[in-house]
Amino acid sequence: MRDLARLITLVERDDAAAPALRAGPLAAIEGNLIAPVIGVTGAPGVGKSTLLGAVAAEIAGDRRVAIVAVDPSSPHSGGALLGDRLRMAIPHGDVFVRSQATAGTSGGLAPRTYPVLRVLRRLFDIVFVETVGVGQTEDDVRHVVDDLLLCVQPLAGDSIQHLKAGLMESPDAVVVTKCDEERLAASAVTELRATIGLARPDTDVAVVAVSARTGMGVSDLVARLRAVSVTRREEDADAWFVRRAVREAYGRQGLTRLAADPTAATASLDERLARALSFGSSPL
Amino acid sequence: MTRLAEPDRPWIFRTYAGHTSVDASNRLFRDNLARGQTGLSIAFDLPTQCGYSSDDEVARPEVGKVGVPINSLDDLRALFDGIPLDRMNTSMTINATAMWLYALYLALAEEQGVPAAALSGTTQNDIVKEYLARGTYIFPPGPSIRLIGDMYEHAVRNVPRFNPANVCSYHLQEAGATPVQELAYALSTAMLVLDELRDRGTLGRDELHQAVGRVSFFCNAVLRFVEELCKMRAFVELWDEICRDRYGVEDPQLRRFRYGVQVNSLGLTEEQPENNAWRIAIETLGVLLSRDARCRALQLPAWNEALSLPRPWDQQWSLRLQQVMAYETDLLSYPDLFEGSVVVAKEQARLVAGAREELARLDAVGGTLLALESGVMKAALVASQAERIGRIARGDQVVVGRNRYAEGAESPLVQGADGGLFHGSPAEAARTLARLHATRAARDEAGVAAALERLAVDARSGANLVPASVLCAHARVTTGEWAGALRGVFGEYRPPTGVEGQHLSLDQQAVDAIRARVDDLTRRRGRRPRLVVGKPGLDGHSNGAEMIAIAARHCGLDVVYAGIRLSAAEIARQAIAEDASVVGISVLSGSHLELTDQLLATLEAGGAGEIPVVVGGIVPAADAEALRRRGVRAVFTPRDYDLVAVVGRVLDVVDA
Repeated sequence: MRDLARLITLVERDDAAAPALRAGPLAAIEGNLIAPVIGVTGAPGVGKSTLLGAVAAEIAGDRRVAIVAVDPSSPHSGGALLGDRLRMAIPHGDVFVRSQATAGTSGGLAPRTYPVLRVLRRLFDIVFVETVGVGQTEDDVRHVVDDLLLCVQPLAGDSIQHLKAGLMESPDAVVVTKCDEERLAASAVTELRATIGLARPDTDVAVVAVSARTGMGVSDLVARLRAVSVTRREEDADAWFVRRAVREAYGRQGLTRLAADPTAATASLDERLARALSFGSSPL
Repeated sequence: MTRLAEPDRPWIFRTYAGHTSVDASNRLFRDNLARGQTGLSIAFDLPTQCGYSSDDEVARPEVGKVGVPINSLDDLRALFDGIPLDRMNTSMTINATAMWLYALYLALAEEQGVPAAALSGTTQNDIVKEYLARGTYIFPPGPSIRLIGDMYEHAVRNVPRFNPANVCSYHLQEAGATPVQELAYALSTAMLVLDELRDRGTLGRDELHQAVGRVSFFCNAVLRFVEELCKMRAFVELWDEICRDRYGVEDPQLRRFRYGVQVNSLGLTEEQPENNAWRIAIETLGVLLSRDARCRALQLPAWNEALSLPRPWDQQWSLRLQQVMAYETDLLSYPDLFEGSVVVAKEQARLVAGAREELARLDAVGGTLLALESGVMKAALVASQAERIGRIARGDQVVVGRNRYAEGAESPLVQGADGGLFHGSPAEAARTLARLHATRAARDEAGVAAALERLAVDARSGANLVPASVLCAHARVTTGEWAGALRGVFGEYRPPTGVEGQHLSLDQQAVDAIRARVDDLTRRRGRRPRLVVGKPGLDGHSNGAEMIAIAARHCGLDVVYAGIRLSAAEIARQAIAEDASVVGISVLSGSHLELTDQLLATLEAGGAGEIPVVVGGIVPAADAEALRRRGVRAVFTPRDYDLVAVVGRVLDVVDA
């Protein structure tokens, strides 16, 4: 585990020396089979970590599970309090959990979440990523996962808020957390189905009620997650990541030049990133 | 005739005792009883109190430390070897796992053919003060109150001389409560339990009144003995009124305020420890002088309790004080000495009025449970405590030998070969583990599984959990298994971490300087320094770890807050997975050496021996040196109150 943890640090580092240091280890696993990545998103305090803990503990019985949990950095100090694993309550040693800080990036992920997911999916059977929160401007996660869970609380009157925020447009399943009482769960599910019906009349979005406390619904959700396979082409996610980096560095104009780069798909992610960024810095 | 026709019988003499192992504790109990002690008061170790078996990773460093470890019926049998249950009044300081110890006690009595009706004793079982002050809670408030209710229901019908819960004003006082707060919070806790019983509707009217009659209290007595005496009289008055008006109890016997006492331990001083003997003697006055408000049972700390656990001789010395008071003085020959005292009546009235106001305030915020969950009670206690500490620091409150008359001749009491201190034998933990393994090896696993299944089913269905717990006891279920089954159903209580809400006033200039250093380090290393901080062990005092977490983030570090009640090994594993730049642990249970060893060993085994470790807590100077020799890079004690400076030193360690 020590080696893996240090490799991830190497992948996260953004100093000039890091790409050369990680090129070898990354090339060594590049050809590995890749595991599905599942995103867990939802407003702060909705119970993402607690749910993820319950789900991961169950899956860990027969699969190698990794989790990346992202928390916000303070805009004032630059520091972050990474407290997600505190709520996961996973029996020790069974699941690999790594925390990341947003370090000023918007979008719900940390700057290097995607490259880390890319490593973990080559070394584990199933990978989860928990976003920092959710809103219209924080759905980067949909570009990097094969299945996206949106967590919501069973609070009546939330539907319009969900619709307004556009939250219902991305997830593959909506999980109603904290359904400690069955009656509450049933009415919340009915209400959500109606809301989703309005937002996405043409898609079949599952709605699952769970209680991490009583264990209700957890097995059903686990069964669903076990069935998730790799559906998103990694080339697409890579391309998204490069585009995002360029956009952050040079804005929209950089993106128009990037679209013309013909060599993109053949190199490692770091090389493509470096080329894209240097390309962008040439006079436009 | 001023004197009583017959002198009163003395109160029960107890000594709070238990440590190391069941064998060592059994010897101690038998010696104490042979010396004239008339009841037992059992101290349990933290794993037993928090529902872990001794071999659990989180329990290992704490086994036998602050009390006796009990893993199964086999342990309890050994603990009571040669002590007749039907002639013993046994008080157990046990809360979250009170039902389990109650069930073990019942099972042991069954095994020995002692009828349940012949058992008398008390389980402390006051969960409110655990949330507020003491920290050994397990389950959330709802299920916790249910467990207490189940025990009353069972005891009233089957073990009529047993007090299933002892409402504790003791710990409220230590957490800072004023006498008025003590009265109000303790009485509101008692009402919380009795309201639960009344609202269940399963008890008949007579049974409910019996349950009211079984509520007992556990109080503190400090040196202001006149006010304490009046406080106890106020308790008597208010409790009588509550029993009559709120629960309709007509029988005055069932409305008696029955209470046990441990006189104040927190106020005993390390400085000139011999003075504590006087303090203890004077503190008994508040709970003995007034016959109408006299305690039913008394346990005295030992003169050296601020220094270590008491040795047998220290306990004997305290016991002798009780015997002199009861048998040599004429205290027990007179009716209440304060009848007609204008001063006492006025002071009592002031306290009663204050308590009524405080109770009304609790009602106004929605009752005890809400006041607890919303932090209203906790905040009030914290404010009172801060004021008290301030008074002592300013010298407004005299503490002889500490802030006044600190000069004095050397005490011969600490000159002996043992320095006047108790020295435990860590090797005894191995015996506890061996007994646990023997129990596991000899038991019928199918019976264990069936008993645990029944426990979980009953927990879900809402059935009374005592019968299933007794079944578990007979099946040789262990403490960790019993609590684990209920954790599975009820979940674990996680108090507000406090990390989000902490307000720290940090010197902005100092913070800016540290932030600049952090930014520089981040640029050089390509990564922000990452601190993994947590509180290993089972004591619930999370404040230190939380304040450091907040301060470090404020200074610009990425902080992984691992939380409390973890094994040191778990914190080490998190530090490895997170590739920590530094890992910090906070320990207040006194187990800093054992916990640090576990942390360092786990880091080493994981190939991460180079991750630097810092330790904070109540660490004596000699131990701090021992920690440094083991490789700990910095040790912080309560003297290091400047949090920014602490973060600065942590950063020195990272950037060494």
